[in-house]
Amino acid sequence: MLRTTLAGLVAHRLRLLSTVVAITLGVGFIAGTFVLTDMMNRGITETFARSADRVDVAVLPPRGSDAGIPAALLAKVRAAPGVTEAQGLVRGDAPLLGANGRVVGDAPTVGLAVPSGRLLRYRMEKGRAPAGPHEVVLDPWTSRRQRFAVGDTVTVLDGKNRPHRFTVSGIVDVGIDSEASVRGAVGFAPATASAMTGTSTYTEIDTVGGSTAGVAAAVGSGYRTLTGDRLAAEISKANGADTKLIGAGLLLFALVAMLVSALVIYNTFTILIAQRTREMATLRCVGATRRQVFRGVLLEAAVVGLVGSLLGIAVGVGLGAGALALIRSAGGQLPPAQVVLAPRTALVAIAVGLVVTVLAAIVPARAATRIAPVAALRDEREPGGGRFRPGAFRIAATVLFGGAGLLAAVVGAVGMPKGETAMYAVACGGALVFLAVIALMPVLVGPLGRAVGALPGRFGGVPGRLAVANARRTPRRTATTTIALTVGVGLMSLFAVVAAGGKAGAARQVDDQFPVDYQIRAQFDREADRTLPAGLTAALRARPEFSAVLEERSKDARLGNGDETTVSTLTASAWGTIMKPKFRSGSLDAFGPGTAILDEVVAKSLGLRTGSRTTIATRTGPTPVRVAGVFAAGGPLSGFVLPEADFRRHFGAVAPEHVYAKVRDGVGADAGRAALDAATRAYPTVRVQSAAESKDQLTKAIDTVFMIFGGLLGLAIVIALFGIANTLSLSVVERTRESALLRAIGLTKRQLRRMLSVEALVMAVMGAVTGVVLGVAFGLAATEAMTEDSILAVPYGQIIAFVALAGLAGVLAAILPSRRAAKTSIVESLAHD
Amino acid sequence: MTSAFASPPGAAPAVPGAPAVRAERVSKVYGTGDAAVHALRDVDVAFAARAFTAIMGPSGSGKSTLLHCLAGLDTVGAGRIVLGDTDLGQLNDRRLTLLRRERVGFVFQAFNLLPTLTAEQNILLPLQLAGRSADRAWFDRVVDVVGLRDRLGHRPSELSGGQQQRVACARALVSRPEVIFADEPTGNLDSASGAEVLAFLRSSVREMGQTIVMVTHDPVAASYADRVVFLRDGAIVTELTDPTPASVLDRLAALEG
Repeated sequence: MLRTTLAGLVAHRLRLLSTVVAITLGVGFIAGTFVLTDMMNRGITETFARSADRVDVAVLPPRGSDAGIPAALLAKVRAAPGVTEAQGLVRGDAPLLGANGRVVGDAPTVGLAVPSGRLLRYRMEKGRAPAGPHEVVLDPWTSRRQRFAVGDTVTVLDGKNRPHRFTVSGIVDVGIDSEASVRGAVGFAPATASAMTGTSTYTEIDTVGGSTAGVAAAVGSGYRTLTGDRLAAEISKANGADTKLIGAGLLLFALVAMLVSALVIYNTFTILIAQRTREMATLRCVGATRRQVFRGVLLEAAVVGLVGSLLGIAVGVGLGAGALALIRSAGGQLPPAQVVLAPRTALVAIAVGLVVTVLAAIVPARAATRIAPVAALRDEREPGGGRFRPGAFRIAATVLFGGAGLLAAVVGAVGMPKGETAMYAVACGGALVFLAVIALMPVLVGPLGRAVGALPGRFGGVPGRLAVANARRTPRRTATTTIALTVGVGLMSLFAVVAAGGKAGAARQVDDQFPVDYQIRAQFDREADRTLPAGLTAALRARPEFSAVLEERSKDARLGNGDETTVSTLTASAWGTIMKPKFRSGSLDAFGPGTAILDEVVAKSLGLRTGSRTTIATRTGPTPVRVAGVFAAGGPLSGFVLPEADFRRHFGAVAPEHVYAKVRDGVGADAGRAALDAATRAYPTVRVQSAAESKDQLTKAIDTVFMIFGGLLGLAIVIALFGIANTLSLSVVERTRESALLRAIGLTKRQLRRMLSVEALVMAVMGAVTGVVLGVAFGLAATEAMTEDSILAVPYGQIIAFVALAGLAGVLAAILPSRRAAKTSIVESLAHD
Repeated sequence: MTSAFASPPGAAPAVPGAPAVRAERVSKVYGTGDAAVHALRDVDVAFAARAFTAIMGPSGSGKSTLLHCLAGLDTVGAGRIVLGDTDLGQLNDRRLTLLRRERVGFVFQAFNLLPTLTAEQNILLPLQLAGRSADRAWFDRVVDVVGLRDRLGHRPSELSGGQQQRVACARALVSRPEVIFADEPTGNLDSASGAEVLAFLRSSVREMGQTIVMVTHDPVAASYADRVVFLRDGAIVTELTDPTPASVLDRLAALEG
């Protein structure tokens, strides 16, 4: 039996080729994920190991402690036996000013001590480590973004926001320090670092020479002393957590790809078994038992799965290495690394490939055992043809899954409080409805095929009409083929709808509820001081270009029942004119002295509603407050909002946290921007963001995420296309005689090719349309479930493009099968038995 | 060899005019070297217009190959095939396809109809492929002659074998081709259905002036023809006009003896 199976495999190797490709791509994705994360880890580990090599002993504060190492300890370490050199590492805020004279980034750049000599932990990309009090080094990303090169002069603010000028002496790769890579890094000579960041403690002391025991004795208890190797291990472990998260996300997409592969494999084996009915029956005639037939099919699947998996590992290595190169070229600060193919990667890849292939082949293999020996003598009929009648199981599955799924989705979208749980409900509903669609798809193939095929059937001439009929003639086969495409296209449409909703929501919220042009705030994370300088508002109000300049202040306060909350206020004139919150209950009219309005989330957490009374602790003691209204969350204003006069009376003069400026009508965007720049020139630490810019940024961020998702789903779609090509070429084999007949009575080769292209087009569009319908419906449901104020938007252009691209890809998938069909000799095909 | 078919009523000889299709010194070899099979050796034969000619011969005699070459389905190794006044060897695949579509009709042993189309759609297929509209009166006549009026909306799977073959005949006739080539048209049919189909083919020659070339191994089927050409080992060995089952059997016995 083994020999028969292997001989069969060799004979059908062409037909199994696409199956192998499907497995290869699916497994390649999984292997690629492992290879990528392993390479990221190795790069980080290697980079750090290289630098930690130079450290003999590292002194760290006790685990979990926020306190640094007092500067006095450095002298003690230096005095420890064997220590020839010791440096303290400093870390604090050191805001770098960009070319426009304003601080760079949302958070201040990180100020680091970059020692020269052996203890230089980072890799210098260009130039050299900073020497003396007038030199700095920058990380490559910041230097590129701000166009600062070695030799340029830059300004950095010290702990008291005083500007200092430095010459850039080099570009340093801080890739292993994730915080510094995100925020940007400015490296000083160790002594300068302490002065600039205003920190008097060290985060770590590194030595050259000495032993852990000797240094530990010198610093006394309360500190951890590690060897360089241990230090490297600890840091790479911390970084490993990040790569694990990335890996988990990627594996989710790999799962989708594998699911699609499984559908393709299942379909291929089903068709192959059906086509080999006579062969199987002959085997049974000559004495093969059912068990042997079953095992034979599974063995075939296992061999195919193994070959596909092995190729998949090779593809995965390429994908992983390629992805790392792509991330690096796109500006991701990851160290380069050699390709890592861990035994675990290979094992998982082979196991997944084998298991998925064999599982997908079980149902077809069982079908093979049901072939009666007498079938060998009967005339073969077209496998899987004829009208499809759904069995009781299929109907039950459709009703059960479809009903439960729709119920979950509807409840999630409209019947539950908005948020994560509601979205999970919608997601579960989506998965269930998809199962129902799988069960129902063979029934849908008929009407869907007629609808999709209406156009090509009408305008494609005889080949078009034949193609549409062919696409509908084997409902099960067409259903499985198209469903594979439905998965990818459906998820893609879902993300597109959610993304469109997010973009539209961001735009509308800004426009409707708070139409200001600029938002001015301090950089985040300036621990001491998050408020804006006092003269800023006056400077802005002095400019005629602005019609309104609003201040937002806030203060932490305690309520009567002991709850802590943040109380805020907005310039009084803004209410009702510029600031129009959407009230869930109560109204702005009631918002007078002695009242407050709350956003719904805070109101709920504090247990307050419109009309409730509470007290807040103020400088004059507990003051009663009545809730005048509750407004929708998600707008620009949040929390516990008091009238401006009340706020001032209760808390005194508090510096504003945000200032908003609205450009007067008739003043151009450039003039407004120039006025703003002029008014804020004296305040380099403030961040100015225009509404248009932030909208733009958000849109770009959403687009980027969508593109990444799209790219990751792309593989699932490619696999589905191989499925179409596969089904088509198997159908071509099956219809050899029919094609020959058509050719004999006058179908040209070109018409034959066109017929197959149209068939592929119809199948692809059927799958895509099903996917789009599901994706849009559940995308809208998910958007609705996300937040109270969600906006439903359907990106029609994108959706149409998905269907059009799917159709085009289907036509491409038909190229090879149709070429093969056109090449077949008519006479041989007619004689073929 | 005995046949289940009833003998045809006395057949009148057709008037042989200019040949509808002819083979001139046609040879065809499959394979090379020791494995070479000479399917046709120097075959010279003409088929008269408005006549029903049968080609007979033992298995492997090359009768199907000759039919395929005559119909433009296969290419010849040497010599030429002339259909009307067209030398098929001069045509590329596309032109050959168009020639088959417009000037030739086919009836095969089996797998003759497209399962996805109704009987009517199958009959009209060659016309539609050519982008020609059907001559409705001619279509009606053909349909009535083959007796399929009430079956036009059925798919092949809903028709009996004989009905399917009659649909195939109607399809061959409806475009009024210069020649209809039939390859064992009764091979898959029971005797009654086979007799029906053969009678129909003969009447299309007699009454509609059609030209038919048919390959068969059944002497009774051959006896429906006006003339029978015998092949052995790829060469024409003899022929017979106004055949009867008995005279055909005699010739065959002589050939094999």
